[in-house]
Amino acid sequence: MPRPDDLPDFGKPPLNEVVLGVQFSPPKGYQQVRVGDVWKLFKADYPLVQEHQALEPAFETFGLPRHAQIGGRLSFVSGAMHDRFWFLRSTGDELIQFQQDRLLHNWRKVGDQTNEYPRFEQMAARFKEELQQLESFLVGLSPQVLVINQCELSYINHIEIGDEPVDPAVWFRGVSLAGVKTEDFNIGIREVIRDNGHPVGRLIYEIATGVRDAKRVLVFNLTARGAPSASDIDSAMQFVAKGRELIVRRFAEITTEGAHKVWERRT
Amino acid sequence: MNRSQANSVFSSNVVPIPTASARLMVCEPNHDWRYAVINRLEQLVQLDRGWDGYNGQPVSFENAAFALRMLEAVCSPDADPPQLVPGSSGDLQIEWHTFKGDIELHVLAPNRVHAWRQLVGGDEDGDSLDLTIDFGSVAIWVRETTEPNLAAAPAAA
Repeated sequence: MPRPDDLPDFGKPPLNEVVLGVQFSPPKGYQQVRVGDVWKLFKADYPLVQEHQALEPAFETFGLPRHAQIGGRLSFVSGAMHDRFWFLRSTGDELIQFQQDRLLHNWRKVGDQTNEYPRFEQMAARFKEELQQLESFLVGLSPQVLVINQCELSYINHIEIGDEPVDPAVWFRGVSLAGVKTEDFNIGIREVIRDNGHPVGRLIYEIATGVRDAKRVLVFNLTARGAPSASDIDSAMQFVAKGRELIVRRFAEITTEGAHKVWERRT
Repeated sequence: MNRSQANSVFSSNVVPIPTASARLMVCEPNHDWRYAVINRLEQLVQLDRGWDGYNGQPVSFENAAFALRMLEAVCSPDADPPQLVPGSSGDLQIEWHTFKGDIELHVLAPNRVHAWRQLVGGDEDGDSLDLTIDFGSVAIWVRETTEPNLAAAPAAA
């Protein structure tokens, strides 16, 4: 999966975290008691483990215009609840998240924030291998393949803004609040992702002020989520690759030239 | 700030600055049909195995979750609540039966829905569609089949 030549590229992007993930139908024969066997698949590189509350199912559907809803939550539960497990690298910069219907891979900046982003191509190749390893394990439980119903990719950026009132127009094109000395703000935008005119997912933009290590930052999340064209691993990876291309292009399109100078845009 | 859509785990060390909101925000849209549907889905996912006297399984959590998202894409806030009928394999059927016609949406799995509609006086076989995530056609069906016939009201008066 080569990097498209014309994709915008930055020497010092404000990227803080990247998440690749898929959601699938709960595999036949899998019970939580087998999570240790799943950990064994990844334990050599991810020797630490933590338990967390499971993520709820997420589906992007289309029809009527949506009514002021971002991530409405289900309140019902069914029988036994499964946990979400984090398998962590000892270096702390990467982890795999697993639950009965999800596999995600996270990378982040750590320490003095200078660790190099392994780049999408390498992360995607490793994530595909992890999916294949999981599928091979599940075949041992019951004749089956992973039935993937949603894919997602998130880029989380932290833009340091100092202590003065923040002017969104410095960083984002077309976000002009002339005269307003903005102390903080919070913006959410959703865009339909289409393939040959048909909706296949959404690109979700979230921009909000926050504080990290006693410094004010703008947290700028871009998440592409939707259904793959088929339920197999290759189709899921195609969706993720398309989502990456869209995220990087939109990031460059909606941020200002001044910001690009700070982030050392190359192409 | 609403719950983020990114499944970030590391960036939780960022403390969001709460934006001062002058109004009370709720995360979920307020649809009358939603309460009825969620209550019914709660019942269906908690059915006992063999609920049908044979080997019937409860409606799967993923099918119930998908059905709710599908209905949000199909039903306007004031739509009539549909009937929800469990299948024997963890699937479910969503139905409207009105004086104008019948609609049935069979949720076989997430992204696998068979939709059928038959209008009173229409084609004997009705209309069938196999759908994945785009339910625009069904939204039109539901509106046409469940909304009161306002055009006829003045004439009746």
